[in-house]
Amino acid sequence: MNSGKARMIKATGQAAAIIAIACMLAACVNLLREDGISFVGDWSTDSRFIDDSGQSLVISLTEASRLYAQKKAVFVDARPKSQYERGRIKGAVSLPWHEVNKRFMEVADQLEGGKTIICYCDGESCELSHDLALFLSDMGFENTRVLVNGWTKWRQAGLPTQTGGQGNE
Amino acid sequence: MNKAHFLKTEKTCFAAARIFLGAVFLYASYDKILHPQAFAEAVYNYQILPDAAVNLVALFLPWIELAAGLCLIAGAWLPGATMICALLMTAFTAALVFNEIRGLDVHCGCFSTQATHDPASLLTVLRDLFFLAVSVYLLVRAVFAPLKITGNMPGRSA
Repeated sequence: MNSGKARMIKATGQAAAIIAIACMLAACVNLLREDGISFVGDWSTDSRFIDDSGQSLVISLTEASRLYAQKKAVFVDARPKSQYERGRIKGAVSLPWHEVNKRFMEVADQLEGGKTIICYCDGESCELSHDLALFLSDMGFENTRVLVNGWTKWRQAGLPTQTGGQGNE
Repeated sequence: MNKAHFLKTEKTCFAAARIFLGAVFLYASYDKILHPQAFAEAVYNYQILPDAAVNLVALFLPWIELAAGLCLIAGAWLPGATMICALLMTAFTAALVFNEIRGLDVHCGCFSTQATHDPASLLTVLRDLFFLAVSVYLLVRAVFAPLKITGNMPGRSA
């Protein structure tokens, strides 16, 4: 038998055995440990964007645009400033997640007044607005929500947008 | 340098390389095993796997890293262990490069499940390429052109 081929078969067999043992151990430990996770996770938007008590933070576009029309919401853009300036929901406040500690005090007074705070970023998988919403809830803004994939959805629905620096109407 | 001396030196290099890579894999598996949920989120954020596979990979991958790392350090089942390491490093590097190219801002999840640690960058890709090179060298010397001068397992009797 070709020795190269034999070595290859041997290596593959060993690799399969190592993987099998590792997976069995992983499964057993996961079943036994208290903080184990389910083998097939639920990664739908409703279950991903939750607050600490497990409540969904997600707000629908319909609801968000209704609050917008009634001027009952403050939109907070969690993306970097450059993206905010290239285009945002009209009237949105910029609070980039990456600079949240630095910028929070600058915008805090704009968030007060009991309006619903709607955080958004861009893309179904963007976590910035979720992280920001959790941060704002921790800071005491209880009525904080996430508009998932907000920028894209808002633009596609033809709702009001603006560009340029903060405050340009 | 004569041939025997060269082979001896290479044997030492091989042993050093496998212990180094084994340590890297052990270190990489540690935090992921401790925090499966956080690691699952890191896997999810790569946006490569179907949702149903995310948790399975997050659960099994760190244990495969652990097992392969232990084999490398112990010098046991080296052909199989080096094959796993080379395949894993190829997959990790490809996933990182893929997301760098499409501009997705992922947190690496390589050694720490904390999202504030090691965001994926070009440096991460270079680091992975280095580990990949080491693992390919080990694979070649354990399987395709085995180091054999005394009939021992390659590098076992360092």
